[in-house]
Amino acid sequence: MITIEQLTFHYPETAQPTLHNLTLHIAAGSFTLIMGRSGEGKSTLARCIGGLVPHFSGGTISGHIRVAERDPIALGPSGMSRIVGYVFQEPEAQAVMDRVEDEIAFALEYTGLSRTEMRLRIEEVLDLLDLAALRDRPLDQLSGGERQRVAIASALALRPQILVLDEPTSQLDPQSAEDVLQALIRLNNDLGLTIILVEHRIERVLPFVDHIIYLDGDNTLSGAPAHLLPHLPHVPPLIAVARTLGWSPLPVTIKQALRFARATNVQPNQTIAPQISSPTILELQHVHAAYLKQAVLEDINLTIRAGEFVALLGRNGAGKSSLLKLFTGLLRPVQGRVLIDGRDIASRDTAALCRDIGYLPQDPNALLFAESVMGELDQSLRNQQLTDRSYIPQLLMELGLSQYAQTYPRDLSVGERQRVALAAVLVSQPRVILLDEPTRGLDYGAKQRLAELLRTWHRRGMTVLLVTHDVEFVAGLVDRVILLGHGAIVADGPTATVLGTSPLFAPQIARLFPTSGWLTAEQALQHIAP
Amino acid sequence: MIHPFAWLTWLIAVTIALSATRNPLYLILIGQALAIVNAVSTAQSRQPLTFWKPNTLVVMLVVTSALFNALLVRYGNTVLVRLPAWLPLLGGPITLEALVYGALNGLALAYIFIAFSIVQRMLPISTLIGIIPRAFYPLAIVTAIAITFVPTTLRQAQHIREAQAIRGHQLRRLRDWLPILMPLLIGGLERAFQLAESLASRGFASQPTQSTQQHRSTQLTISVALTGLLSGWMLRLIWAYDTLGSILMFSSAILLFGKLWMLGKHAPHTRYRQFTWNNADTAVVLCASVTIAVLLLPWPAIERATLGYYPYPLVSQPSFDLGIGFAIVGLIWPAVTQYIKS
Amino acid sequence: MIQRFLSATIYTLSSVLGIFAFLAPFFGIMLQNDNAQASAPWLMSAIVGLCFISLLVEVQGTGINAKHVALLGVLVAINSILRFAEVAFPGPGGFTPIFLLIILSGYVFGAQIGFLMGALTLFVSALITGGVGPWLPYQMISAAWVGLSAPLIKPLAHLLGGANSRGELLAIMLFGAVWGFAYGAIMNLWFWPYATGASTHYWQPGVGPIETLQRYAAFYLLTSFVWDSFNAAGNVVLLACFGAPVLRALRRFRKRLDFTYQPSGSTV
Repeated sequence: MITIEQLTFHYPETAQPTLHNLTLHIAAGSFTLIMGRSGEGKSTLARCIGGLVPHFSGGTISGHIRVAERDPIALGPSGMSRIVGYVFQEPEAQAVMDRVEDEIAFALEYTGLSRTEMRLRIEEVLDLLDLAALRDRPLDQLSGGERQRVAIASALALRPQILVLDEPTSQLDPQSAEDVLQALIRLNNDLGLTIILVEHRIERVLPFVDHIIYLDGDNTLSGAPAHLLPHLPHVPPLIAVARTLGWSPLPVTIKQALRFARATNVQPNQTIAPQISSPTILELQHVHAAYLKQAVLEDINLTIRAGEFVALLGRNGAGKSSLLKLFTGLLRPVQGRVLIDGRDIASRDTAALCRDIGYLPQDPNALLFAESVMGELDQSLRNQQLTDRSYIPQLLMELGLSQYAQTYPRDLSVGERQRVALAAVLVSQPRVILLDEPTRGLDYGAKQRLAELLRTWHRRGMTVLLVTHDVEFVAGLVDRVILLGHGAIVADGPTATVLGTSPLFAPQIARLFPTSGWLTAEQALQHIAP
Repeated sequence: MIHPFAWLTWLIAVTIALSATRNPLYLILIGQALAIVNAVSTAQSRQPLTFWKPNTLVVMLVVTSALFNALLVRYGNTVLVRLPAWLPLLGGPITLEALVYGALNGLALAYIFIAFSIVQRMLPISTLIGIIPRAFYPLAIVTAIAITFVPTTLRQAQHIREAQAIRGHQLRRLRDWLPILMPLLIGGLERAFQLAESLASRGFASQPTQSTQQHRSTQLTISVALTGLLSGWMLRLIWAYDTLGSILMFSSAILLFGKLWMLGKHAPHTRYRQFTWNNADTAVVLCASVTIAVLLLPWPAIERATLGYYPYPLVSQPSFDLGIGFAIVGLIWPAVTQYIKS
Repeated sequence: MIQRFLSATIYTLSSVLGIFAFLAPFFGIMLQNDNAQASAPWLMSAIVGLCFISLLVEVQGTGINAKHVALLGVLVAINSILRFAEVAFPGPGGFTPIFLLIILSGYVFGAQIGFLMGALTLFVSALITGGVGPWLPYQMISAAWVGLSAPLIKPLAHLLGGANSRGELLAIMLFGAVWGFAYGAIMNLWFWPYATGASTHYWQPGVGPIETLQRYAAFYLLTSFVWDSFNAAGNVVLLACFGAPVLRALRRFRKRLDFTYQPSGSTV
């Protein structure tokens, strides 16, 4: 259905081509996954299919591309709109109207259909995406996952044959991501809709994927998962273990892998968490907190000692971000005390607190506005009235930003921008760092760099408190895990203990080898004799 | 829900009533009708976003207009106070008649404000956008996008404020708003790009609304219409050719609207949402029409002279006609309808 | 060619009509005729409305593409929030923060965007603040004129130093100051006929029409001047504080907007 031959494309004013002599074929009705490191052209390829590249972006293109017997380069996005539908990354940047039903109707209003035909299609699409209950709701009251489903619905209203999605779940929490991916699987299975998905979090969809395309410059790979997975650089831990141990046929789900895992000899392992005896640095005493008049935390008692590396996990809405904000003064408790270094912070304001506590917000873009990376650091230095700049070059080097000192921050990749934000927040050399969902939108490479960075700082004695949904990220990294549920602490202890047995939050390796106490692929492979 | 067309008719009736008379008795009666409709509507409206209270507005406008007029116009027999003549611009007599006239105008103006705000609160935003003529559909979409983005932008502003706070930023002077405004603006522009992609992929703006030739003919039509409008007005104003001038102006307006209607035809548009018309709406339209008819047409039983109240040169007692009074009371009907429904 | 001529005609005619409509009260006095209906408020509103519609059709031209629609949508949203803030927490006199973005977006993106920015900011903010009324077309067309005329700064800016220089910012600030007064003047002119009714009584017995006109003008200048100086000063201050960074951000974005595909037949 989609044939690409010798496709080469550069963006305007760029010498290096983003796509170089690409040749591919995608069959009708398949579920295709496009993977690759960031900057390798995944989004570009996705946009070529519908004609958005080159019509929207400009640039030079050569080669052939045929989509359902039409040429997107000649027709452009408007000509291809009935064949290819798109869903993009940010749920909030795709809607025109403020109510669900109106948004779906929008795509149809200018196509010249009769009103009855419009109503039919809208009902159809609402049912397909399970949105019937939400039809009259204003979009800004919906969750990210619901908004993405509305975006899918609006794309489907035109009845395209192909649906292309560019990282649709990267801004979503796992539950919402799950809903969106399940919807896609249903659409592919039941309707035979051809789906092309650019995605990093592949664990959930892997069992349903027919075709993987891995973009890597001239070494682009394309084929069935069973053929490609053994060769890909970044795979989920399950697959990493499976292919190293030579399990065949390569399992892609826990269920498939358990067959092999049970046959392996595993010694139950007891790791003893090191006892920390340093002074308490962060403390919450009987804290009740509320956000927008809703109670969000109830009677929380928490002690964190200097030098600890702690992760805070929990379902969406459990209060994790609020807990973090309590330490920065952005949220003040309704009852109870928040103590830093043993002193109540009720009288100190955020600007003062943030000299000692660094906080990386969920969206680092909210921080960035200067003309250069150095400019951002200067801004922070000015805010905090700091004059000593001697450690700035070292900070930049540690964060891998030395060569970007004069670059416009918003031109950098997602991972690099996050590091610029970290730099801006760390100018005062705080002893504690709080990170709110730092892995959102990062690819594997960027996540590994972040993990390395956090490990380095932790070894140096910094206290790190991390809020995240990403269990795999946390598994090999932190010493202590706290689980929040519905505003209260549900579990608190060493990583292996809390994550090892939790049905919801256990990492893949822990599910494979339940009694072993292993959490990462490295640990598992270390202990199983090769 | 009262149909938008019914509301529109009501609004026209109120506007005509407020333009047709300066008789204080009638004005106050209209004001009462508006107050009743306002009270019943407030309970049912969706967007309680007015910042001024109706009573404050009335008082403010009455006082301002009264003073304005009194300082500007020194005509009238009842002199209240005589300011020393050496005061620039302010010196001279302040007359009761001028105050009264100004106050009446202020009252009428305030009531126009209130009437418009009632209608606007009762109609959902999508309907208000739908009033935009089809010829301007890209603008209707821009309006829809802007309204949809307002809550997103507000939330984003909150995140930005928090983010800047944790790097030590404090809002003290005007300049300190820069770290809030810039990420908001830049983030908005980045979102605009993604939104544009989303629009294009759904086939928006696939064809230009007009070809260059059509645009040229449109331009020609508009130029002709504007010339007609200008000349017609000049005729009336300078050379007092009333009928000729009026005809010219009227036909120019028709030409313009006609062209607009034709442009709208080119954009195929199926409106998804529909309002149903029911008896309540008919009743509202009927009452409004009665009001208009009574006020504009010369009925034998109605004393139309009572409409034109004129305080100059000596302020006098206004007179009242029951027929007109009833017609004005008919403006309450929307309140009655809504009250019956609830 | 014909198109440019027609464009110019439309702009000139609507401006002339608009100006005449605004100055109607003065005409009533000058001509001293009993044609009070000639300057009746509703007639003025209707004429201004028709001018506005004509300009709108002209500015829309052959259509607005998706990028400009999205750009306008987002900018109008931000500007409407600024106006919302101004209505909720009123500043001194005629101060309003909306002209910063209107002037700068007209300057960077061109007359079409500037015009629509002005008109739609007022429209959308009226929708969200409950301010729809007979004054709205006036506000819309005046703000639209501000944005429409913004590209006219370019020659002066070029003279004073070219792109991204202090001279350019000074030129824009001057523009903001001038329009601050002009906008206020226009809005006051709207208010007068509604507030004071027919124009046949603007004289004292015994005083001739010319002198009345002089008093009238002086009075008008006095009341309007103070109020509008806040508007002008506000524009200047906002442009001084935020003008340069906003200009840079908008210019960066313009580069991305301008990239379109020209099919060229080029090969690898």
